[in-house]
Amino acid sequence: MKERIQDAVERSRAGYSELRLRRIWSSTVLVRGREVDSATSTGETGGLARCCSPGTGWGAVGFSGTAHLEGHLLRAHELSLAGASRQPLRLAPIPIRQIESAPSPLPADDPRELALSTKRERAERLAAVLLDSDRRLATGRIIVRDEVVETWLATSEGTWIHDLRTRVSVSALAVAEQEGSSERALGSIGGAPGWPAGEAAEALLRSVASRAVERLHAAPVRPGRYPVILDPAAAGALMHRAVAHFARPALPGADPDVLPLGTQLGPEILTVGDDPTAPGLLAGSPYDDEGAVSRRCAIIQNGVVLGHLHSRETAGATGQAPTGHARAGTLGGVPYPRATNTFLAPGKGTLDDLLEGLPVGIYLADVLACDASEAGVALRGAAARMIRDGRLAEPVKGVKLAGELLELLGRVDAVAGDFQWDRAAARCRDGAAGLVPVTTGAPHLRLAPVEIGSEVS
Amino acid sequence: MTGPLLDVLAGRVNRADALVKLDDTLTLAISPDGDTRVSASQTRISHLRVMREGRIGYASCTTDSPEELAEQALAAATSGARLELHLPMPAPLPEVAIRAPQAAAADVAALDPLARALLERLRRSARRVEVWAERSTGSVHLGNTRGVLTGYDVTLAGAGAVVESIGAGYAPPCRVHTSGTALPGWPDLEALAAEVDRRLDPPLLRPVRLLAPTMPVCLAPRAVASFLSPLRAALVGLEAVLGSYSLRGRLGEVLFDQKFSLTDDPLAPGRPGSRPIDDDGVVARRVPLIERGRLVGFLADLEVGARAGVPSTGHAWRRAGAGSRVGFTNLRVVPGIETRATLLTMMGRGLLVEDLEWGSGSNPIRGTLNVRVPWTYLVENGSVRGRLEGIRLSGNVFTALTRLGAVGGDATWVGAACVPSLLVEGLTVVQEA
Repeated sequence: MKERIQDAVERSRAGYSELRLRRIWSSTVLVRGREVDSATSTGETGGLARCCSPGTGWGAVGFSGTAHLEGHLLRAHELSLAGASRQPLRLAPIPIRQIESAPSPLPADDPRELALSTKRERAERLAAVLLDSDRRLATGRIIVRDEVVETWLATSEGTWIHDLRTRVSVSALAVAEQEGSSERALGSIGGAPGWPAGEAAEALLRSVASRAVERLHAAPVRPGRYPVILDPAAAGALMHRAVAHFARPALPGADPDVLPLGTQLGPEILTVGDDPTAPGLLAGSPYDDEGAVSRRCAIIQNGVVLGHLHSRETAGATGQAPTGHARAGTLGGVPYPRATNTFLAPGKGTLDDLLEGLPVGIYLADVLACDASEAGVALRGAAARMIRDGRLAEPVKGVKLAGELLELLGRVDAVAGDFQWDRAAARCRDGAAGLVPVTTGAPHLRLAPVEIGSEVS
Repeated sequence: MTGPLLDVLAGRVNRADALVKLDDTLTLAISPDGDTRVSASQTRISHLRVMREGRIGYASCTTDSPEELAEQALAAATSGARLELHLPMPAPLPEVAIRAPQAAAADVAALDPLARALLERLRRSARRVEVWAERSTGSVHLGNTRGVLTGYDVTLAGAGAVVESIGAGYAPPCRVHTSGTALPGWPDLEALAAEVDRRLDPPLLRPVRLLAPTMPVCLAPRAVASFLSPLRAALVGLEAVLGSYSLRGRLGEVLFDQKFSLTDDPLAPGRPGSRPIDDDGVVARRVPLIERGRLVGFLADLEVGARAGVPSTGHAWRRAGAGSRVGFTNLRVVPGIETRATLLTMMGRGLLVEDLEWGSGSNPIRGTLNVRVPWTYLVENGSVRGRLEGIRLSGNVFTALTRLGAVGGDATWVGAACVPSLLVEGLTVVQEA
């Protein structure tokens, strides 16, 4: 394969040529209730041929299969000549490396070596753990998915990367019913490499089950102005959507606004970054889909916007160094700057320190959804409790936190020191740029009183 | 094309069906800075579903290897669902216009003038305009062990724009697009440009004290297409028929306003969701879902049909890695007779909402709506006075559809939905500080 790819790139007559080939093996087992609903096995191969030359724009050809690699590059070159760029297209320079990181022989925990019937048995066992955890659980759904991704990347500058990685995830939905009311809860856990440890998956299922049951007895939150404490998962989701999404130069069809460098976004205790090199996380990688070295990148330092996430093109256009954040969201997709492992840096103290002295407030754990635009942020909690007299009190539901981006981040008044990475199998969809795995990490975070709405009518 | 996939399974399975989809897409985009980018994609994906010893297995791949795909599907069948699936027999396909030779042949030289014409029409001072034009040509091939061996060719073309008004409040970019089997013509582009002008030209009003939180709201077609998302979800698949979705078990009941009727129409000529046969090999047909407010149907594919004991309506969509799912083809809301001007006059003092995006704070499954609506205009005595900022709409979509003030006669295609304006009375309007 290496010879075929490198030959095709060498023969391209464009000023710059790039060929990425990716093969994805995946299997998915879906269990509804206690019975398997579907078992699917997928093998996808495809990639991207991309060219540009002095005075031209990009020409890009996404393709499936492994045939006609040279032809795809030729067409990409032709398309690049049909495009036009008013500003010369500048790719920021990167160290040229040849990396062969695909393990050989294959690791013992390669999910392709595991029979689908074994995966089904595991999924059914997990479904039983979920449904047996409480008699009020009416039904549930378990999705067990594994994926092996092999990537080959070659450029006319001499970059060569061959990489193979494994991702495994378990997602759960629990539906609890009692006296005519029905409540749901969701959760997931992902890991790389290998199967998520049985205990971790079972802990997730018990947590999802208890959240669904707890919601049966939760009263709708009373809208008003409250101090709010976000748990690490919710704080991380807020930082990913409200900060990291606006730390990238414009993508087609998504988030045209970028936080200007030097903007004061929040207090001194607010430091946010993105670290593709954090080990053992689903979204991490030592290099990106352009072959640039990934590096930890500060976005907000002590409340001030300090940096952006870059591809080679956006870095070149702004005179910055690439950060290794160019990621392709589909098999044949063009790589754009995307967040990977977004983190809120830890402060000091514990959750108890944040709770201390609060007569009333809201504790928001995990998120169902978080949306943001230049105008505002809206975050919907998956689980929430009232805070009363400095302690976590009764569960409430329907909690919705919304506000202007600057105002909300400006309300951060305490950041605890209990940082943790969220192990959920989260993926981020961003307009035309496709779907990529993402991870967030944060400690508990407290906001001075903000407006809380209720989505329960 | 599906023959070799089925041949390698001969004698090894009880039943099987195969689907191969090929697509060639060309996209040309012009950025606000005037840069032109051209990209193409050529994809081929093969799907195989086998039934062996009472279990079903799915496999899909992008390479041309029948043996490899067959082995994957057989392995999946050892762990698949226990389900008795009755594959369709060969049947004549209905005539439906889904391919335009001019679109199939369109190259960069054909797309470039389209995009530039739209750009020129939209370009003004204080506007940031990005435009694109696209065409896709492809084919779908189906076969099964009961003798179905068929296929069709299809094209899809479109153009669109993202327009930002600089210095006019906090409105997000205005996104518009048109798509169909043929390349968009000048009237299509003119309609897009007119919509952008209609949304961007009215002045931004200073904060207006609204009279009542329950003032009438007129949703324009683009907003209606989005507003109906919970209803779409409640009408498709197993969750709708047997699960916990809102309309389960209510077939035959009058649940909505009698002015409201909705159909799924795969046979609409030249539209994005049109097709003569679904991905299960079931011949496509129009399916009434709501007739004068009465729930008369759900959409199903073969699997949902087998689980729920109902016939397939021909709405299977096959996707890689996840088997079959049920989905709309072209959604059509039966238009009324009122013109847009009449609807605005009927409101007296009310709000016109041109576009609507679901976001956090809403629940598309339960129909709970709580969204910012930046493309909202104050209407008084039939005239649009200007655009408002800081408006939120809350309520419930299912409840709102029980009390419609009127249904417009201005049915417009928005992607794969043909919807008119709706005058809605049951939503709460919140004006934020």
